[in-house]
Amino acid sequence: MKMLLAVRNARLFAFALAVCATTAFAESPIRIGWLSSLTGALSSAAIAENQGVQFAVDEINAAGGINGRQLELITRDTGGEPTKAVNFAKQLAFVDKVDIIIGPVNSGESLATVPIVAKAGIPNLIIGSIDELTDAQKYPLAFRAINTNTQWIEGANEYALKVLKKRKVAIIGDTSGYGTASAKSAQALLEKAGVKPVYSVLVDPNKTDLTDELTKAKAAGADVLMPWSAATGLLARLLNTRGDMGWDVTIVGHPALMAPPVKPLLNKREYWRDAFAAGYLSTTYDAKGKLPPRTQALMEKIRPKLGKGGEIDFMFWWVALGYDTVKIVEHAVRTAGSTDPAAIRKALEGTREFPGVYATYSWSPQNRNGFPDHNIVVNVAGSFKDGSYAAAPTK
Amino acid sequence: MLIALITGLATGALYASAALVYNVMFSTSKVLSVTTGHISMLGGVFGAWFMSTLGWPAPIALLGSIAVGAVFGLLTDFIAIRRVLARSDEHLWLLSTLALATMVQQGAGLWWGTEPKPFPRLIPQDFTAGLGDQKYWLPIVVAILLAVALELFYRRTLYGKLFVAMSEDAFAARARGIPTDRIRAMSYVIAGAMGGLAGFAAGQLTFAYFALGLTLTLNGFIALAVGGLGSNVGALVGGAALGILSSVATYYVGGEYHQTISVGLLMLVLLLKPAGLFGSQTVRPV
Repeated sequence: MKMLLAVRNARLFAFALAVCATTAFAESPIRIGWLSSLTGALSSAAIAENQGVQFAVDEINAAGGINGRQLELITRDTGGEPTKAVNFAKQLAFVDKVDIIIGPVNSGESLATVPIVAKAGIPNLIIGSIDELTDAQKYPLAFRAINTNTQWIEGANEYALKVLKKRKVAIIGDTSGYGTASAKSAQALLEKAGVKPVYSVLVDPNKTDLTDELTKAKAAGADVLMPWSAATGLLARLLNTRGDMGWDVTIVGHPALMAPPVKPLLNKREYWRDAFAAGYLSTTYDAKGKLPPRTQALMEKIRPKLGKGGEIDFMFWWVALGYDTVKIVEHAVRTAGSTDPAAIRKALEGTREFPGVYATYSWSPQNRNGFPDHNIVVNVAGSFKDGSYAAAPTK
Repeated sequence: MLIALITGLATGALYASAALVYNVMFSTSKVLSVTTGHISMLGGVFGAWFMSTLGWPAPIALLGSIAVGAVFGLLTDFIAIRRVLARSDEHLWLLSTLALATMVQQGAGLWWGTEPKPFPRLIPQDFTAGLGDQKYWLPIVVAILLAVALELFYRRTLYGKLFVAMSEDAFAARARGIPTDRIRAMSYVIAGAMGGLAGFAAGQLTFAYFALGLTLTLNGFIALAVGGLGSNVGALVGGAALGILSSVATYYVGGEYHQTISVGLLMLVLLLKPAGLFGSQTVRPV
């Protein structure tokens, strides 16, 4: 009898332990590592993205988490430096033991961290645009949420060549790694489209004057300037030089061309005229002046959290992208039923037309770039209003 | 091509001003402070802030920028130089000034923002003035004025002679009752004021940008080394040579070689004339 009681007690104890363990597992948070350059030279976009990430985490947690598990966001400020990004990626992977890593936000940092995160076997949501960051064979757990650089360039090229009917292109890149790679890609894509640029140059992003470059471009007969640089100072100088020269050439290029920080750097407000930049469908007003419903909904939800109450004075797509990355994590974990990397990979590979705010995403076993081409549009550079832009004319 | 020369000269003038700032600090402390370029950065950033945000008129903002530079110069001496020199003969000032420069840059980035911001027009002038635009000639005029004023200061004033005495032999100067700590602090105040003025004058050329400091520190040093450490004429010539060469090289071969050419110039001069174009060889008694 005593023997039977002992066995029963042991079973009860084991059962209690199992229940406790299951409960503990169910309640353990999902740890998300967030590599973001919140300080340093590249912080503007990252700060906006961080608003979206933080908002989505709070929203999901307030709604009870994912499958009963709360989200724990572990943010690491890389300062825009690849070496710091590498150290923090290792820390998140091996010390903090996160379930998934979002970021880093810049391509230069991502080039350094993606192989490390891949080797650690942790799913990684990529938000750098350089094409080389994703590879289904080399980095099977890395899925890109942002568009690729090629998508931006192709969008701008198509607008310049097919809509504006320009054929004499001058490419202006900057000497940073990103600017150099982008200018090279732009040249290759134009040549693929049958257009050989009449002038191509790389400029130091801090160069104080672009008169030489624009004089040469003009002499070469350029009828469109295509700048590929994220340096707002350089782009403002380009617009100023064009304006001061009195040259009425069209400019089509990088999204930074229409960034709000460019506006106060312009010698005259009208220097922004006849300039267009690659942008997003999600933050483009339609003919009636309305934004897509999902963008509008997020904007109204998050506006009070932005702390200003009034108009949004930065590019809202960064917030939308940050928000979407966490919603993608939610989708992946819910679909996978766990945070197991292999299950998350399978869940994301099977994702079709996932409706985000920034874009509608689809990945597959071969395709790690979830952003669709048709979500890229061209905007009027000087049309910024409440975080979004007007579409460039199509006639 | 002419515009390449003028823009090169304007940028070179800013490098020359940085080289002059180096010279003043070096004369009394034998320190090449990494904060040199950051003084000018602060001059530009604060100048823009005074005028755009606080609405100060340009002359008052100019005085404000000079004052900010002077205070930062003094802080550089107090925080990064004085104690280090008192405790060690080694070149630990390199680390202490680098640390201070980094902190100031980070602080400026957090406060001012990491995007370049506009620097207001100082003199009413249309933007289509071309080569006559004030953004080109203001830095050039200021660099020349600074060099002339420094020469007059060294030759015509008692304090200037004290600077020269300390530059020749700080121990001998102290032995003759010169308050070397006070003179060094004064030299850092003057250097800071010069840097603040140079940053203010070049604000329209560079924009008010938090990350400008390190570029000026590096290029100011190259200008100084090319012209010759301690020579004000050398600083002007070195800065102008660096600016024009970089600009012309960019014009002919493209911007990707800009840095290579700057550093190449430095190496070439150091190999051919290690003391710089106008520097004097120091003789070490053995």
